[in-house]
Amino acid sequence: MRRSTTAALLALATLAFAGNSIAATTPADAIKYRKAVMSAMAGHTSAFSLINFGRVEHRDHLLAHVDALAALGTQLKVLFPAGTGTGDTDALPLIWQEQEKFGQLITASEKSTAELRAAVTTGDKAATMKAFKAVGESCKGCHDRYRKEDD
Amino acid sequence: MTARPGPRAGFWVFATPLLCLIIAAGAAAATPADQIEHGRYLVHAGGCISCHTADRPDAIPLAGGRRLETPFGVFYSPNLTPDRRTGLGGWTDSDFAAALRHGRGPDGSPYYPVFPYPAYAGLNDADVAAIAAWLRSLPPVENPVPAHELPWYLRSRWLMPGWNLLFFDPQPFKADRTRDADWNRGAYLVRHLGHCGECHTPRNFLGARDDALELAGNPDGPDGEKIPNIRQDRKSGIGRWTIEDMLLFLELGMLPDGDFAGSSMSAVIDDNTSQLTADDRRAIAVYLQSLAPLDSP
Repeated sequence: MRRSTTAALLALATLAFAGNSIAATTPADAIKYRKAVMSAMAGHTSAFSLINFGRVEHRDHLLAHVDALAALGTQLKVLFPAGTGTGDTDALPLIWQEQEKFGQLITASEKSTAELRAAVTTGDKAATMKAFKAVGESCKGCHDRYRKEDD
Repeated sequence: MTARPGPRAGFWVFATPLLCLIIAAGAAAATPADQIEHGRYLVHAGGCISCHTADRPDAIPLAGGRRLETPFGVFYSPNLTPDRRTGLGGWTDSDFAAALRHGRGPDGSPYYPVFPYPAYAGLNDADVAAIAAWLRSLPPVENPVPAHELPWYLRSRWLMPGWNLLFFDPQPFKADRTRDADWNRGAYLVRHLGHCGECHTPRNFLGARDDALELAGNPDGPDGEKIPNIRQDRKSGIGRWTIEDMLLFLELGMLPDGDFAGSSMSAVIDDNTSQLTADDRRAIAVYLQSLAPLDSP
């Protein structure tokens, strides 16, 4: 009797805890997280470009930056849950109106990042330059269509 | 003693074909084909495509119809292809010069300053003629564009001569001899051909550029966008950017922090600044970096 009561209480507590943790992701925090991931990607892109354009040494760091970009890039798809188009965000409602096209652009950016990684591993400077420009195009293409810049 | 051609004759044997080649090359430089190619470059550098192409994936470049929302109403950009009925078919060089440098159509009617003739006023004759030559070489596209949607008092153009009298002072570009060639080229590109100030300079309540705040950003830019300050202020402008940062931005659209531009500048990068020669991009950067810092309005 005593044991089953304890088990029931534990189950209830677990449920309550689980429910609580789901409810804890507010749209504001989801937006904050999205921005943090985007900023991290921008940081790696900036670092990569400084090496790529010969403004600093460290060509041996390129792989670390492109690996990070590839890993973070695969997270993009889950960073735009419904309800995060308003508030402190520059994301445009169009994202949620054309989910399929938006998803295709993210897939294309994953592909271009994979190609950049391949170019970096061969050590071919010209190919790396070309692939980096293609990654930039995919970033810019999405920002152009789905982001409003007002600051 | 046999007569031998002296050194002088030998000179001419070799020099004559060479001279012919030089003359031929000189003539080639002035052919319409070169002028047309120069015009193609200038139309890209002049940003004509961004505004004169509709905002649809299947839109034909320069056939007009882009919707431009401004505080003064909605404008639709005209068709610049040489179609007789809906485009610029039949325009002469002087029609192009009047339009670009004086903001007047072939019938003398004034344009609205949403068309950046106040900036194009500084274009030189050769560039105007080249732009005309390339636009005339395009295939004509029949594409009628909608009428502008304007408040009643702007619908007829009777206010425009007054506006021009107040705000429009067409001056040809004058090189500053105290500066180098890069700086002067940059000034020509930024202030005239590239008309950067049309978006990056704030406007007064009558829609005229406030040149005291030239390039210091426009909080109320086209399509409701906030246009950034590109003067040298370290906080609100691009005072922390190096020349190399500017070159990367103009070529790829990448900001120094690794972010990529979107919105209207993305189209400017695609159609204009990324198409420029590396020398022209550098000239723009050199000119911008020479400007005194100015805080955003």
